[in-house]
Amino acid sequence: MTVAEKQPVPAAISVRNLDFYYGANHALKNISIDFPQGQVTGMIGPSGCGKSTLLRVLNRMYDLYPGQRATGEVIFDGCNILGPKVNLNVLRARVGMVFQKPTPFPMSIYDNIAFGVRLHERLDRTAMDARVEDVLKRVALWPEVRDRLHDSAAALSGGQQQRLCIARTIATRPEVVLLDEPTSALDPVSTARIEELLDELKADFTIAIVTHNLQQAARCADQVAFFYMGEVVEVDSADRMFTAPRENRTQDYITGRFG
Amino acid sequence: MDRSATSPSALTGVVRGNGDAVFAAIVRCAAALILLGLGGMVAVMAWGARGAFATFGPAFIVDKAWNPVTQHFGAAAPVFGTLVTALLAIALAVPLAFGIAVWLTEIASARIAGVIGTLIQLLAAVPSIIFGMWGFAVLVPFMAHYVEPFASHTLGRVPGIGPLFRGAPYGTGFLTGGMILAVMITPFISAVMRDVFLSMPAVLKESAYGLGMTRWEVVRRIILPWSRTSVVGGIMLGLGRALGETMAITFVIGNANHIGWSLFSPGNTIASLIALEFPESAMGSLKFSSLMAAGFLLMLISLGTLVCSRLLLRTRAAGR
Amino acid sequence: MAGRENAAAVATSAPCASGRWQGDSLSDMRRRMVDRVATGLCWLATILVLLMLFSILFVLVRNGLGGLRWVTFVHVTLPPGQGGGLANAIVGSLIQTGLAVLIGAPVGLLVGIYLAEFTATDGRFINLVRFISDLLLSAPSILVGLFIYMIVVVPTGHFSGMAGALALSMLVVPVVVRTTEDMLRLVPLSMREAAIALGAPRWRVILFVCLRAARDGVATGILLALARVSGETAPLLFTSLGNMNWSVSPAAPMASLPVTIYQYAGAAYEDWTALAWTGALLITAGILMINITVRLGLGRNRK
Repeated sequence: MTVAEKQPVPAAISVRNLDFYYGANHALKNISIDFPQGQVTGMIGPSGCGKSTLLRVLNRMYDLYPGQRATGEVIFDGCNILGPKVNLNVLRARVGMVFQKPTPFPMSIYDNIAFGVRLHERLDRTAMDARVEDVLKRVALWPEVRDRLHDSAAALSGGQQQRLCIARTIATRPEVVLLDEPTSALDPVSTARIEELLDELKADFTIAIVTHNLQQAARCADQVAFFYMGEVVEVDSADRMFTAPRENRTQDYITGRFG
Repeated sequence: MDRSATSPSALTGVVRGNGDAVFAAIVRCAAALILLGLGGMVAVMAWGARGAFATFGPAFIVDKAWNPVTQHFGAAAPVFGTLVTALLAIALAVPLAFGIAVWLTEIASARIAGVIGTLIQLLAAVPSIIFGMWGFAVLVPFMAHYVEPFASHTLGRVPGIGPLFRGAPYGTGFLTGGMILAVMITPFISAVMRDVFLSMPAVLKESAYGLGMTRWEVVRRIILPWSRTSVVGGIMLGLGRALGETMAITFVIGNANHIGWSLFSPGNTIASLIALEFPESAMGSLKFSSLMAAGFLLMLISLGTLVCSRLLLRTRAAGR
Repeated sequence: MAGRENAAAVATSAPCASGRWQGDSLSDMRRRMVDRVATGLCWLATILVLLMLFSILFVLVRNGLGGLRWVTFVHVTLPPGQGGGLANAIVGSLIQTGLAVLIGAPVGLLVGIYLAEFTATDGRFINLVRFISDLLLSAPSILVGLFIYMIVVVPTGHFSGMAGALALSMLVVPVVVRTTEDMLRLVPLSMREAAIALGAPRWRVILFVCLRAARDGVATGILLALARVSGETAPLLFTSLGNMNWSVSPAAPMASLPVTIYQYAGAAYEDWTALAWTGALLITAGILMINITVRLGLGRNRK
């Protein structure tokens, strides 16, 4: 809460007093955190601490599974998205998500991107072509795939597939992009390219990234949140978090004493 | 980035999941159609059979007569034939299927087992009428000239089981019917057995071999007990198929309304009776209704068997 | 039991180590004999069933190959002695199985989708539907024929190709349900989530992503269903009946290969039985071809 006061940037998403349950398992305990607009928020913490869970609350992915429920408030665009009247499809178009493993759809590279766009917009052929080209250029995939846009996306390498997935996500023009350990399945070169990409994307999108890689959080994030046992222990700028954490638990984690 | 210009972006107020509701309704209707299909079959059979059951009562099931002239019908002979041929088929098919499954999983190399397994599964794809023609052209003469005369001279003289193997060697009859059915269901049973044997954790088998057990001892003592439930389920599945089989059996059963000890004597089954007599029965006649009643009984018998089979196969899948 | 045998082996084994390696004690010999006999019987069972397959194929080719002439494909069935063909039966079979797949495959697809994708909400009902569908998979096909006779032929007042197609479609559905469900369950959860995360409604995710990912397997299922019903005779006996003349109207009685084979095989005329064998060869070759193609295709995809 103290961090929120210090932030001059308005929050794209504010989470207030969020509790989350997997059945009887209390996975998130009274979480409050802001995601400042146009910044990268890195979420770190040991496995099972709730960081991915929070991500799946922000686009209500948990709705797919019976027995999972959230209480509290998540304010996005002036509206509590945990409310019953939220149009989930619109929410998910505006809060995009990229997953740990690349998940190209079983269709061409072009259609992978057009699939999401067609859900929410009616574009004519030239506009769609332009959109596809634009997002592929933004993820720096265009030179590699421009001649095979209509080939199957499954033929791309893992790193290329993940960049395609990012392109697919930003093609629907979301305001927020959630990334769930997007580089953990990739080689170092691909990882570096995606980290560069994040830096460029934050001009247009608010980004929340879950990572196990502390260096990655330090490199990419403006703000870092440390999760432990379903609670947010500390939220601070990346510089402060990694040089002078306020909490002992944070200190222990980033110096590798547990996790 | 301004989205409102390009698409509706209001988080609330839009009717949610309309397409999803329609889609869910459509697939639920399709699923209901399945229930309607089977339920309809049972109901229509029962409806068609009401005349016969009203006239003959429960005695219809145990009555041996099938006489269009006196309008006296009973299902005992075809029920008997159905059960005898199906049980014979199981008795013959189970050892064959078991041998094949063991051969495919324990004896042959994976490469050869793949090829031979495919060939045996091809046998399952051959239509039943082809089995019927083959049975009529190959098996019936073979039975009439070699097997039946030989068996009645040898086994037919053994006290106790002798009556089973006596009678004129027509070639057609219960035994030939059972044999045709056995060839037809062997691939099904062996496929189920092979799948179960293959799903057994390798470490169990390996530790048994490690104890110095021979291959047969491993099969007998380790694999069989471990897979018993689904093996029985697979056998029941084969039985279910054998009970309802029509075309193959019609060619070789001999088609006589007959109950007797001899496996060589011609008989009929419910399915073959319907196939032969239905075209010659007038809608609404007592014979028509009796055929429907026989069909209803077949429905009950085969559904009962299949239900047992599925329950056995499912218990196992759930228990894994 | 095993313990006793071991004890016996120790007691009777020869003093030298080589003797024990060879396992020449009585119980060892017995065990190995039993093993050999059992192995031999397994070989025998496999060979026997393979022999049946080859015998069937051999008889089909021997009796049917002679009839594979041009006239068989262009002439309709004629009275005995007039040299007819099977053209009407072949075309009738194609029409009826084609219609059956056109009717049955979509229903099977939808039910398969239901079974695979709606477990979260409809668990119990789904188990029931799957169970019933599995029962239909092995239900006696002649009873399916009777059922369609009662609900289609009787009300419309006449036999028809459409009734035959409907009867066959009842056999198509459960096959397609099975494979569709199995194949959809192989589609990874991550792919569904990725599509949903784009804001796609569920029906679009299922139809355009999951079904697309499963399309090879689903197509296989439909082909196998086609293969299965194209040889079915019993369901057609009381539905499409058969037709000696050229008829391609689904509203009229329609010839089909299996029914024609059935009618001709038992006939006393040599040219009719010869045609029956030719028809049998045709239909078996077609079905086995579909099966082999599908299996080879599956093997390739698995690699």
